[in-house]
Amino acid sequence: MTDAQQFEAFLRKHQDHVFSTAMRLLANRAEAEDVTQEVFLKAYARFGELQDSPTAGGWLRTVATNLSLNHLTRYRNRWSFFSELFGGRDDNEHESPVDFPAPEDVEVELDAADRRELLEQALRKLPAAQRVPLVLFHMEGLGYEEIAAKLGVSLGKVKTDIFRAREALRKKLEPARESLLGLTA
Amino acid sequence: MNMNHEDQLAALVDRELKTLPPLSAPPSLAPRILARLAAQTEVAWYRRAWPTWPPALRAASFLVLVALFGGLCFAGWQAMHAPGVTAAAGKVSGAFALVSLAVNTLSALGNAAAQVVRYLGTGVIVAAITAVLLAYAACVAFGSFYLRFAFARR
Repeated sequence: MTDAQQFEAFLRKHQDHVFSTAMRLLANRAEAEDVTQEVFLKAYARFGELQDSPTAGGWLRTVATNLSLNHLTRYRNRWSFFSELFGGRDDNEHESPVDFPAPEDVEVELDAADRRELLEQALRKLPAAQRVPLVLFHMEGLGYEEIAAKLGVSLGKVKTDIFRAREALRKKLEPARESLLGLTA
Repeated sequence: MNMNHEDQLAALVDRELKTLPPLSAPPSLAPRILARLAAQTEVAWYRRAWPTWPPALRAASFLVLVALFGGLCFAGWQAMHAPGVTAAAGKVSGAFALVSLAVNTLSALGNAAAQVVRYLGTGVIVAAITAVLLAYAACVAFGSFYLRFAFARR
């Protein structure tokens, strides 16, 4: 197998994970594709080390995370001020009890694929200020302190944003599930 | 915030998000990346960014640059002590007399502006700065309002 063929196999093996990381952080397909391309161009430059490394997947995801965050910082800062000037605060932070259907019931009532699609959609619709720390915490396994350091914000803000993101997910998923259940019933 | 509620919610969201499988990359992505890599490797090394040059060439070019820099420093130092350089420097400074004139004119204008400020007093200056800041704040407010309005209509 030539080097080019080996790299192609490596690319095809890891592309979904890298693309997922970028897509979930950026919530924009074109930007996620650009970041994925950039990640693999960097990987190509170090393919000698990565080729047989058991940590190649982790390296790729870390680079994808960092490039996505750079992308958000570089290209979206100017807009975030305007877009979050009025909409960044969630004033109706009432504490209602968590009322998702039990997982067993959900599996009976909803197709797993539909459920995943609902969740992906809800995730994409979250504002970047909430989505990014949520994804870093729950999907990339970073701690609050690491997230605060990466995003350059306070620990308190990270915790608040993640809490708001969870609440927003819950609020967005509940009506969608109800309507889906209504349609499928 | 109710801790029980928070913990429940965190556990729930964690479980839901961790069940998500990786998203499928678009089929066009791998060919696009491979094409980009092929194009990149076809470009001659001297037309690529320095960090992507072959290591030996990078080392050689670095040594050449260091030698050039050292040579320039040495030549400059020698030139400073060469006979006739002072006379040549005098001629060059004559050529820059025009620059000196421009600097003097700007300096006079600056002094005149300072006099005007003194004559008008700080109240007028503060009022002018306040007006500029208010205009800036109005621009930000209208811009933000317009942006929110535009997004709301989507």
